[in-house]
Amino acid sequence: MGLLDAHLVPAVDGVAYGLLLFVVASGLSLAFGTAGVLNLSHGMLYAVGAYTGAELSDGTWGGLLLGLAAGTTAACLVGAGLSAASFPLARRGHLAQALLTFGLALIGGDLLIQFFGADDLPVRVPAALDTSVSLLGHRYPAYRLCFIVMAVLLAAFGTWVLVRTRVGAAVRAAADDPQMLAATGYSPRTVHLGVLAAAGALAGAAGVLGAPIIGPGPGTAETVLMLSLVVVVLGGLRSLWATFFAAIGVGEVQTLGVSVAPGLAPYLLFAAMAAVLVLRSRFAEPATGHSTDGPVPDPLGRLVGRVGAGLRRVMRSARPKTRSASPPGRGRLPSGAAWRRAAPLLVLCVALVALPGLLDAYTISLAGSALALGLLAVSVTVLTGYAGLPTLGQTAPFAVGAYTTANLAAAGWTVGPVQILLSALAAAVFSAVTGPAVIRARGTTVLMITLAVGELTSAAVNQLKSVTGGADGLVGFPATQALWGGEDLFEESELYTYALVVAAVAVAATLLVLRSPAGKLLTGARGAEARMRASGHPVWRYLLVAYIGAGALAGVGGSVMVTVQQYLSPADVGFEIAAFALLAAVIGGTTSVVGALFGAGLIVATRDWVAGAWPGHGPLLLGVLFVAAVYLLPRGLAGLRGTSGEEETTTASPGPRDEPPVVSAPSPAPAPSPVGKAGP
Amino acid sequence: MLEVTGLTAGYHGGTVLHGLDLSVPAGTVHAVVGHNGAGKTTLVHSVAGLLRPGSGTVRLGGRDVTGLPAHRIARAGIGLVPQGRRVFAGLTVAEHLRLSHRPPPSGGASRPSVWTPARVLELLPRLGERRGHRGASLSGGEQQMLALARALLASPSVLLLDEPTEGLAPALVQQVYDLVTTLAGEGIAVLLVSPSPAQAIRCADRLTVLTSGRAVLRSDGDQARADPTALNAALELAPAKG
Repeated sequence: MGLLDAHLVPAVDGVAYGLLLFVVASGLSLAFGTAGVLNLSHGMLYAVGAYTGAELSDGTWGGLLLGLAAGTTAACLVGAGLSAASFPLARRGHLAQALLTFGLALIGGDLLIQFFGADDLPVRVPAALDTSVSLLGHRYPAYRLCFIVMAVLLAAFGTWVLVRTRVGAAVRAAADDPQMLAATGYSPRTVHLGVLAAAGALAGAAGVLGAPIIGPGPGTAETVLMLSLVVVVLGGLRSLWATFFAAIGVGEVQTLGVSVAPGLAPYLLFAAMAAVLVLRSRFAEPATGHSTDGPVPDPLGRLVGRVGAGLRRVMRSARPKTRSASPPGRGRLPSGAAWRRAAPLLVLCVALVALPGLLDAYTISLAGSALALGLLAVSVTVLTGYAGLPTLGQTAPFAVGAYTTANLAAAGWTVGPVQILLSALAAAVFSAVTGPAVIRARGTTVLMITLAVGELTSAAVNQLKSVTGGADGLVGFPATQALWGGEDLFEESELYTYALVVAAVAVAATLLVLRSPAGKLLTGARGAEARMRASGHPVWRYLLVAYIGAGALAGVGGSVMVTVQQYLSPADVGFEIAAFALLAAVIGGTTSVVGALFGAGLIVATRDWVAGAWPGHGPLLLGVLFVAAVYLLPRGLAGLRGTSGEEETTTASPGPRDEPPVVSAPSPAPAPSPVGKAGP
Repeated sequence: MLEVTGLTAGYHGGTVLHGLDLSVPAGTVHAVVGHNGAGKTTLVHSVAGLLRPGSGTVRLGGRDVTGLPAHRIARAGIGLVPQGRRVFAGLTVAEHLRLSHRPPPSGGASRPSVWTPARVLELLPRLGERRGHRGASLSGGEQQMLALARALLASPSVLLLDEPTEGLAPALVQQVYDLVTTLAGEGIAVLLVSPSPAQAIRCADRLTVLTSGRAVLRSDGDQARADPTALNAALELAPAKG
């Protein structure tokens, strides 16, 4: 009884917090499940409501009601605007929309700060509620109890609309099969608009009412977005009840967890999330038969063997390619096309080698960082473009690599190749551990899971102070030597050259693997997973190997970044960097390794050069860059080259169920017996 | 009355249908027969607005509906029963009925027959017994009935049936064709797509054989029933036994 007594107040707080998250997260889940928009600006909608509510709150009921009306309306309108902005991209898939909403979130966040200032706004609740009531012998704020009631009403109303009305049925039907809903006479555009406006209104209302709980400030949008994403991932998009319990659970972890075990609270969230993801991947997937296709005595050994075999094959297939000019055969390009393909790479190489002679020291060090970010972007490209796993979480292995190198250096291991290899190894091990939760998902679910992996890694980085230095980061570790017995690297141009050599080797290795049969298997798994499975390919194993390889590559990037910067802070491995890397990959065209490098360069240039000319508006500029990239470069920089349709991804085309590949179409003249119908 | 003239359509730059002409008068069944890949579903999708035709026109009772979005075409009076049924997995039968019930517009062209949920359940009593079940938990035959009910509840003047008997038991197949005949009797123009001429001729008033996106044979239903040789020859099939 004593335990309950001591923790009653935080436990009730947790319910209030959880209900708040439920209202917000259900809007996020609705927009994602129905309109297909992974709305990374959803937190901003809450912030719009919270700021409006705080601004209009004057300690009266009228102020609260006025704030509720104004905040809900404002967020509803912003939601409608989001729909207008994202609907034209619907055919381009989830990735483009996620990037667009992230850009809009950056822009919106900047505008909110312009408008309301950079400080947290105070919120005044109505005087009648600005008191405390007795709750089992404890004093408890009356407003929070009132909030619990209002949130329950709001949630119940939303659920009723979704489950009991014709509009709700249309919304759920849109989640099932939007095309058929259109063929039933419902305009997809109206459904899209309605869903995003409703999600906005829910978030706005939650923002006004919840402002005394999660108040309006510069960090509000991100906090709310992250917690809502955690709720949605935990809840699993399937049922409202699951989302509800996930929200309450997260709320309790954030309040009761902090009060019971302050040090463990961030890990509780992590542990719950990891457990749910792993359990779901283990049990909730339809049986595929892969777990039973023969004994797997030593998975790691087989993995190593497979990678080794792949590499040997790569080496074999790579060698003749360099010697013979252009044997006409499948998979080989005529030399003219080969040159045209290689041209951007050659231009890039020449430019990169020539850079130190052309630029000042500061810019050179930026170029070094751009190379590190470029490696991260290449790793994202491998996963997004080749393995079909769009990721927002590659900063996690990137961080593992970076902190490994920093700690190695601090411990006296300062030889470059050793740092690189051990960082890559650590990142690979990390990816091998997180991989199983990622590779079984597809599409936007991967974005959400990887986002969670990245965020929770950031949380761990902030907590594990002995290893990471916490929020202060790491600084003052010894410099790296390029080789055994070499000089310490201090000069910017030396550091740049080191970064360039490492990046060149890593990118070359990546290109070799991607163009080898192993890369073709990966492409096949992305394009026609079911067919690959049916042909006996263990697709999950390929994806896991790709995920581990990409993780190692990100780890190398992290190591390079630490060496070039000579310090490391949590912001270097935060969510923003993850979004940059994804944007770089998308700017590059998602299947172009070289394009990803160009994209990373463009982003670093925007962030550090252009933003320098207009201080304080870096996020706004980046947001504009995101939005512009999504609209203006539908196929990325690679698309500008006008290459063949090879890079065409699996966009949402109306399913041509009747249309098998051209080869099997019955041709009148030479095919005497079409499939199975020929008589004796 | 549905009229298709010079319809060309395809995917990702590859043309599948090459200038197809077709007409389905009210109250008749027009069967389009062809092998996989001949362009049957492409035809259905182009008419229903799920695929934008490259050229040609689709007219509904004289009104040009070519290239309109799917929901406008549906409201204009073209109902789609798609291949694979595509019922909404998470919605119950009752919710399907409520969602798709759309009384015909008062000012627009008159519809041959007006359908309410009650009337549909009279025609398809099995659905009444399954009102509370979700689409995903229905059997194949029930899903087919539900897909048909969904299309009927908008009181369409044209019904597109894309392989409505695919994967159904023989007894159900007969039931579906009886229903098609009933609906045509109500004055609905039915465009039926099927890979099997033997099934299609059961209820067809007109027949078109589609090969590689072109009409290679047009025939009268009675004529084809009397002597299917030409039909089978057009499809390069051996003569049907029995």
